[in-house]
Amino acid sequence: MAQTFDTVVIGAGPGGYVAAIRSAQLGKKTAIIEREFLGGVCLNVGCIPSKAMISATHFLHKAQHQAAEMGIQIKGDIKVDMPQLLKWKTSVCDKMSGGVKLLLGGNQVTILMGEAEFNNPKELTLTSKTGSDTITAKNFIVATGSRPIEIPGFKFDEKEIMSSTGALALDAIPKKMVVIGGGYIGLEITGYIAKLGTEVIVVEAGPALLNGVVDPECAQVVSRKLTKAGVKVLLNAKAKGQKKVGDGYEVSIDNNGKEEVLKCDKILVTVGRKPNGDQTKLAAAGIQVDERGFVKVDAQRRTNVPHIFAIGDVAGQPMLAHKASYEGVMVAEIISGANRVYDAKTVPAVVFTDPEIASAGMTEAEAKAKGFTDLKVGKFPFAANGKAVSLMETDGFVKMIADAKTNILLGVHIVGPEASNLISEAVVAIEMGARIEDLALSIHPHPTLGETMMEAAEATLGHAIHIIQKPLNRGKEATH
Amino acid sequence: MAVDVKLPELGEGVTEGELVKWLVKPGDTVKPDQPVAEVMTDKATVEVPTPVAGVVKDLKFKVGEMIAVEKVLLTLDGSSASASTPAPAAHAATAAPATRPAPTAAAPAPRSAPASLHMAATANSPTIYPPVADSKVLATPSTRRLAREMGVDINQVPGSGLAGRVTREDVVTNNGGGTSAGMDTYSAKAPFKMPAPAYNGPTGAAEERVPLIGIRRKIAENLQMAKHIIPHFTLMDEAEVTELVQMRESLKEFAEKSGLKITYLPFVMKALISTIRNFPMFNASIDDNAKEIVYKKYFNLGFAADTPNGLVVPVIKNADQKSILELSHEIIELSKKARDGKLKSEEMRGATITVTNIGSVGGTYATPIINHPEVAILGMYKITDKLFLKPDGTVGSAKQMNFTITADHRLIDGAVAANFLKAFIQKIQKPGHLMMDLR
Repeated sequence: MAQTFDTVVIGAGPGGYVAAIRSAQLGKKTAIIEREFLGGVCLNVGCIPSKAMISATHFLHKAQHQAAEMGIQIKGDIKVDMPQLLKWKTSVCDKMSGGVKLLLGGNQVTILMGEAEFNNPKELTLTSKTGSDTITAKNFIVATGSRPIEIPGFKFDEKEIMSSTGALALDAIPKKMVVIGGGYIGLEITGYIAKLGTEVIVVEAGPALLNGVVDPECAQVVSRKLTKAGVKVLLNAKAKGQKKVGDGYEVSIDNNGKEEVLKCDKILVTVGRKPNGDQTKLAAAGIQVDERGFVKVDAQRRTNVPHIFAIGDVAGQPMLAHKASYEGVMVAEIISGANRVYDAKTVPAVVFTDPEIASAGMTEAEAKAKGFTDLKVGKFPFAANGKAVSLMETDGFVKMIADAKTNILLGVHIVGPEASNLISEAVVAIEMGARIEDLALSIHPHPTLGETMMEAAEATLGHAIHIIQKPLNRGKEATH
Repeated sequence: MAVDVKLPELGEGVTEGELVKWLVKPGDTVKPDQPVAEVMTDKATVEVPTPVAGVVKDLKFKVGEMIAVEKVLLTLDGSSASASTPAPAAHAATAAPATRPAPTAAAPAPRSAPASLHMAATANSPTIYPPVADSKVLATPSTRRLAREMGVDINQVPGSGLAGRVTREDVVTNNGGGTSAGMDTYSAKAPFKMPAPAYNGPTGAAEERVPLIGIRRKIAENLQMAKHIIPHFTLMDEAEVTELVQMRESLKEFAEKSGLKITYLPFVMKALISTIRNFPMFNASIDDNAKEIVYKKYFNLGFAADTPNGLVVPVIKNADQKSILELSHEIIELSKKARDGKLKSEEMRGATITVTNIGSVGGTYATPIINHPEVAILGMYKITDKLFLKPDGTVGSAKQMNFTITADHRLIDGAVAANFLKAFIQKIQKPGHLMMDLR
């Protein structure tokens, strides 16, 4: 039985379900199509389950290594009950996914489970377990996301050769794991797997971890801490292939030109994600996709077919959930006639390593490339922050970059405890066009990690209170 | 080769128009006769076409600005298409077909959601300004959004804030400054600036935003200014109009012979003029700049007309010199023009006092807003049948009509207005007496 809607969203990830809710709020008869799980990768096999695993292992790590110093004695061994950990992780995901279902239902969005494929620009076929159906709509929003990239010779079985999806579902602690790709997904998993006691070797093709993803100084802090925790990091190293030997694997790599073989029982491949532009039969609707698989869109996220939009990972970099949600709201409003355009100065990035990394705005190199020749850069270490010391989490710093001519804030890079929560202040400041004085002069509550933002702003101006700055800067700055 | 596209003649007597919307943006390729802008004149909103093909290079005006006829609207980079005809500017101006009235382009009302959906879905976003995220403009996200919705390219707005920050006020002033065309000049020195308090809607509520531009903005500005400058007060009273009703009934047939439908409005106008003669302060203005009261020796009567585009006030010039039949004729004529959006600007200018006949729609009483720089507005309401007690103790029935006089308290005291209304009601109750005034 054919069904007709005003707007049909394909994909119920953080872009799609947000678009569907806003669309329904604006009075459109809306449906959302999902082939796997509400909430998409993010809520089910991505952001949320990995945060659950990270939070659990962080707790474990503190109990093992810091409790005694704090005077808390734990009798006997601290054991990890993997099945229970998995069960709890799943309950977290189910709670979030169930919440999405509730929100969609509460907003009268029709949920259609199944695979969508376009027949033409106005119609698609929905194939589900129970059969197939024809769906027509005035507007479509393609929010089909992305999937892990598979490299030759490492076909995912998600049991032993795994993408992030398999790693998040491990029911036993591996003895030894080779992680191919030292990007943010690889390092987040490396971090918590290592805390569970697995010996981890990271094989990274580039010259540094998180290469080109975050401020190099921030990456260094994480890199050092990983090494200290016993993780072996091989840079400029490429995975060539693997073979099954006994109940384990031998991974052959090219380590700076030398052939080497790494033994392990699990392999994790995290070399990036690719957009799902090759699915959903977009071509049948006449939608153009570029050579990397991204749907071609304009600043309104409109495809070349004017009544079809694309958002989120499938519509271009950065492939981040919060960018997808922003686009989801925007596109729903555009379809309802609002004058909107993608107009964010910065998309913050957060990496849940230990310690966390978060950034907003430009790095020094990016600022220089944009023509800001004269920069003010200030740093404030968490070691000088009372809250961080009391948390026993003093690794890292807040770094601010401002235009020296105007003191306008250009970028903030944080590595340290709760960096992911601290960065939002920087995002607002950058979007508002704040000067660093604005941050320095806003009273930040004591004792909090947030004080590091105020202090870093002061440091950028040359006169932080809680660190000794070179007298060189004295008396020159203070005026504007 | 660059080609100038000028604003063509938009109709007889029209010297300028307000840019309501750009239909192209720099970089767009245009074909000959493709509409490039919507321009609102005092008569109508028209789509202005380009006479030649090319690639849009420069838009010379911002939405909301007044453009004089013959001014360069935009420049085109003449592509191969126009190479053969080196379109001279004069050609550009004359070749443009005069007017193609755009159906009520002024106000896509919220309820027309399907229509705007259609627009959004088919037109490939002609008026979307590029995102400013990559430019060096300093403005908050909400200001950037406001600019976009007002059709202002924020990259072009000079910022008055710290370090060149573009503020909300900068955007509003840049868009709304000095467009009081069609208004007389007895107003304050600076062009009136709409106060712009923050709008705090409930987050996530189902709301639609439509730019406040065109005729709706003009109405908003004029009324905002009138309420801002004039201390209004309204007096209300009942008139017993049995004789007026009888008179109109008796004249109906006579009027129909002249092909006219006669309404109560011309009678009210006649009674009003007759009353004003004894109350000259009702036919006056305050010149705020000169600090003087201007008493007018002529009687131009405005009457409020509801049109699909919004409220307009056509004006009957020298109404004192016209007969009831002539007034009727002119009212019908002007009303039709108003509905069709064909009123000339001079037909809406120069009223000395205004009548609003809200009674033709309904309502017992209203508190109208004075059409600045006038100082009074007379309201007339629906006629009802009323019972009353006769002197002999029996009950009779009569026709009753309510009237209000709303006045500028700076010039007109309460007692004066009360006397004015009393005098007016005496006249309208005894329409025969109006004969005495005929000249």
